[in-house]
Amino acid sequence: MMGCSGFRLFVSAYVDGELVGEDKAALEAHLQVCAPCRTLLAEEKEASALLNAARPLHEAPPELRARIEALAFPRRDSRRRALRWMAAAAAIGFAAFLGGRAIGEREKRLEPRASSTLASLAVDTHLRYSRGQLPLEVSSDRPEHVSAFFAGRVPFALTLPDYPVGPGQSKSYRLEGGRLVSFRNDYAAYVAYRMEGQPISLLVTSASTAKPEGGSLVQQGALTFHIESVSGLKVITWTDNGLTYALASDVAVEGADSCLVCHGSDQDRRRLDRFPARPGI
Amino acid sequence: MSDGSQEAFRREAVSHLDSLYGFALSLARERTVAEDLVQETYVRAFAAKQEKAPDDNIRSWLFTILHNVWRNDQRRRRPTSLEDAPEAASRLVASEDPHVLVHREETRQRVARAVGELPESFREVLLLRCVEEFSYKDLAGILGCPAGTVMSRLARARLQLRRILARENRKDGAA
Repeated sequence: MMGCSGFRLFVSAYVDGELVGEDKAALEAHLQVCAPCRTLLAEEKEASALLNAARPLHEAPPELRARIEALAFPRRDSRRRALRWMAAAAAIGFAAFLGGRAIGEREKRLEPRASSTLASLAVDTHLRYSRGQLPLEVSSDRPEHVSAFFAGRVPFALTLPDYPVGPGQSKSYRLEGGRLVSFRNDYAAYVAYRMEGQPISLLVTSASTAKPEGGSLVQQGALTFHIESVSGLKVITWTDNGLTYALASDVAVEGADSCLVCHGSDQDRRRLDRFPARPGI
Repeated sequence: MSDGSQEAFRREAVSHLDSLYGFALSLARERTVAEDLVQETYVRAFAAKQEKAPDDNIRSWLFTILHNVWRNDQRRRRPTSLEDAPEAASRLVASEDPHVLVHREETRQRVARAVGELPESFREVLLLRCVEEFSYKDLAGILGCPAGTVMSRLARARLQLRRILARENRKDGAA
């Protein structure tokens, strides 16, 4: 026959209404004859009532709600806006910075599709970082330091470029640092830059984890760029050399400026000058 | 899945945002981490939904994803110190008499402090049961353990909570 120690385990479930059948009947019979267990039941009920009365009714912060709703109901961008982005995309395409491909190749535009999860995450991450809500895990303007931080933490090799500038020149962009961002079953690399006070965000993951999709497509040689506007930000996603990139920047950073993040040398600038600062619509 | 059913699924999923955020806060105890946790939960839910649609209990399914994300994250990162105070950054829904609210807030803070002293395994099961009111069956699914474990863990969690509250009451009485 079960003693008090056995019944005590049942009391909590009894209070929760989860005890049924023979167990419930046995406990109720035991409570009739056992004062200590009746006391325990009263205490359990009191504790449950206290917990229930004290239930924290949390309300998600508005920024989080906005991000989740953006994920749930991604806006389909107009072709008009996507076209305005095209030159920036071409410039960024040039900035396939681990490969260094030439720009100016034949462009092939394809029909726009729904934006990708990676693009949405890039925008969310960019907005949070811009608002000071996303602390960096490594803060450094030295690419080798940030690259070293990611080594072993993300399931791919990422080497950030460091383009030299001439004497008396200064870089028009500044590396600020990076952090890990949860993405699917692993981590993506988030790299923060700033140019003329405006943040530029780069999200990198392996091509096996995410492939660019959605937006308007622009073909540049072997590379395909997905260009879209999400929540008022420019987003360009592409895959190259086994990695998938998503670059989000503020509207104020126009055209070829964005690619200076990756290609800031004089030689690169001359090549980028072929793109208008504000691409025509 | 048709566009209409996907829309309905996503609307329901978003309707559980506040609850998921509260649970994430109770686990992470830090607002930015909780937000990351919730966001990752939705990213995974929407990605999975494109291929597999759970027919029922989307709410329980979302909590299961969140709990799994948290557990996996904990395995990879240094766990949050238990000495960290729960962050009181989230707003409480308030629409009642101010005096009632003040009393409730005092009670809430007292209980929240006591819950905060519990080990994570007790904290999560108590909150999922007493705040989110999941059934033991759902709890077993969310926490990935047998229903019997849920029952015994809840009993031990309540016992420990009562002891902490009693200790605090004695302190208040002595003060």
